[in-house]
Amino acid sequence: MKRLNIDRQQLKSFIFSLCAIPSVSGFEKRAHNDICALVGKDFDEIRKDGVGNLTLIKRCGKENAPRILIDTHLDEIGLLVREVCEGGFLRVLPLGGIDVSIMQASDVIIYGKQTLRGVICSTPPHLKKDDELPEPFEVIIDTGLSEKQAKELIEVGTPVGFAPVYSELLNDKIMGKSFDDKACAACAIWAVANTPREAICGDVYVQLSAVEETNAIGGAASAVFAADPDYAMVIDVNLARVPDTKSFETVNMDEGVSISMCAATHRRLTLDTAELCKQKELDHVLVAAPDSTGTNATSINLVGLGVPVVDVGLPLASMHTYNEVISLKDAETLTSLVAEFICDKEIAAKYKREEELI
Amino acid sequence: MTLYNTLKELCLCPSVSGREQKIREKLSAMVAPFCDELRTDALGSLIAVKKGNGGGKKIMLAAHMDEIGLIVNYIEDNGMLRVAPIGWFSFEASAFTRVVSERGVHGALVPDTRTKPEDFPKSEFFYIDIGAKNRKQAEAKVAIGDFFVGTPVLDKLIGTRVCGRPLDDRIGCAVVLGVAEMLADEKLENDVYYVFSVQEEFGRKGALTSAFAIQPDIALCFDVTGTGDTPGAVPMACRLGDGAAIKVRDASVICDENVVRAICDVAKECNIKHQREVLLKGGTDTSSLQMAGAGAAVGAISIPTRSIHSGVEICDLADAECCIKLAAEYIKRA
Repeated sequence: MKRLNIDRQQLKSFIFSLCAIPSVSGFEKRAHNDICALVGKDFDEIRKDGVGNLTLIKRCGKENAPRILIDTHLDEIGLLVREVCEGGFLRVLPLGGIDVSIMQASDVIIYGKQTLRGVICSTPPHLKKDDELPEPFEVIIDTGLSEKQAKELIEVGTPVGFAPVYSELLNDKIMGKSFDDKACAACAIWAVANTPREAICGDVYVQLSAVEETNAIGGAASAVFAADPDYAMVIDVNLARVPDTKSFETVNMDEGVSISMCAATHRRLTLDTAELCKQKELDHVLVAAPDSTGTNATSINLVGLGVPVVDVGLPLASMHTYNEVISLKDAETLTSLVAEFICDKEIAAKYKREEELI
Repeated sequence: MTLYNTLKELCLCPSVSGREQKIREKLSAMVAPFCDELRTDALGSLIAVKKGNGGGKKIMLAAHMDEIGLIVNYIEDNGMLRVAPIGWFSFEASAFTRVVSERGVHGALVPDTRTKPEDFPKSEFFYIDIGAKNRKQAEAKVAIGDFFVGTPVLDKLIGTRVCGRPLDDRIGCAVVLGVAEMLADEKLENDVYYVFSVQEEFGRKGALTSAFAIQPDIALCFDVTGTGDTPGAVPMACRLGDGAAIKVRDASVICDENVVRAICDVAKECNIKHQREVLLKGGTDTSSLQMAGAGAAVGAISIPTRSIHSGVEICDLADAECCIKLAAEYIKRA
């Protein structure tokens, strides 16, 4: 029997609501209040730290219970103003790995003293030589403002994000910006919020961590240091298969979540999580990520005394664009997995840290 | 002591990453009158504490006291030394310049005569000529593992501008000293930690461990930053002489937004010349301060500097004075 009844339409709306809250990498604190307003009532404690991490804590009410950490990242890719130029144009640089080839002519929102619209300048084909693209550091935004207005409203260092536009494809696929990684955060929050307190096996820390996209370690490490969990699950998006991608680098959409086999994650917890999926009939696929998952798992693994960590992925197509695509079926599977993971007594018993170790 | 004299004294004390003892001794003596406690941690960073009235926050100020350099990894039969870089040493900028070892041996860093211009950045084409006739003579003066640095020098240019090395980051150290002096007689709520960190150029190490031990609420980094005001420069909204550069981002860190805003507000309120800084390439200790332990809200006040990591770094002492005043005023209000 399924532990959670998930209404797919409600989950979809929740994903859209969370993903539309702007959280450009390095500016996560601006999102904290909106997220707390959206989900705060379902948690016992909310922690905000100096780095910009947000941790939502739900306690199980049992004594001597383990601390279970679910990490997702709050930040999204974006741009940063580095110069306000003649004519009210902005010279920007990417925050996180943005593909310059998709940026031209896209709608952006400039989070200055006012929230402003802008568009990334594109070179018309008439003026272009061959297939040349601008260097990432040469991207220019047209604000429509005069230079004087632009200088009044926009300072050097102002964050810029893609415009939040969400839509649906057929067969429960959805598209829009920042599913990486707030769609995963939405699934984790949904799962923990809707699982009855009596059922969970430990105090659950849902972590929305900062600067994953822009910092080699990721903000996650500091919040994990503070939380000191017994074991953890890291959830980030994974590359979905589309024609002409290599099968060993991608996963199929609609076939559930991916679970990484990686030298930097905990082998036993990984296999136990896969076993849990089997028992509960949750679609999943094991993927090989030899030396790094490319997610927060790699750093969380090494925090403090070391944290057993499993890395779970949600398949996503067109990553790091303003039209990322995910499947609601996969999102539902992920939500169920989080609920099962925090309620699994065997995992809790096995990975609860022996106090004498400390 | 004037800022120029302080800076000159600091610059003329070579201390490559991992060998910071001399500069630490100098800085200890210089900061001692302005703090309540002084200690050195296991990596060698110097930590000076000015205690607050209790119950306040912990504010950490950090500047790194190490510098880039070279390490001898082979001595040729003909007495020439082969070297590897310590930190982001620019061979291109240092070809045909004088270098000096930690034991005071002078030499010239020279590229192999056959080196093509495009190979100038590569260490394997360089050797140090210390004047030795053969390996035996060289070995009397130099051992494998000895460190060299570019010859330290500081001169005044026109106005308040100075040229020399290593401004990165002795100018930051001088600024932190200046802040400590300015706040010496102030009664503050918050504990202030003045940290002179080691091994920034070799992986931003010292600031990481000292921030872990201190676990500050707010941490500020003081280091040099690039400028966009020289011929052919990559566009950058930061100019020499336009005041303290308040960092928003560099390649290693995005500064805490509230800290950035608060520093900017203080600059406006106190009418201190300032500019906002977005640095494309190059990282600073700021990221280590941010990520140590459970993390901290970080900011950085940078000193605009031209030709960083060369022997002719140039900065404007008027900018550095702005940095000192701005940091001191910020701390009084934090």
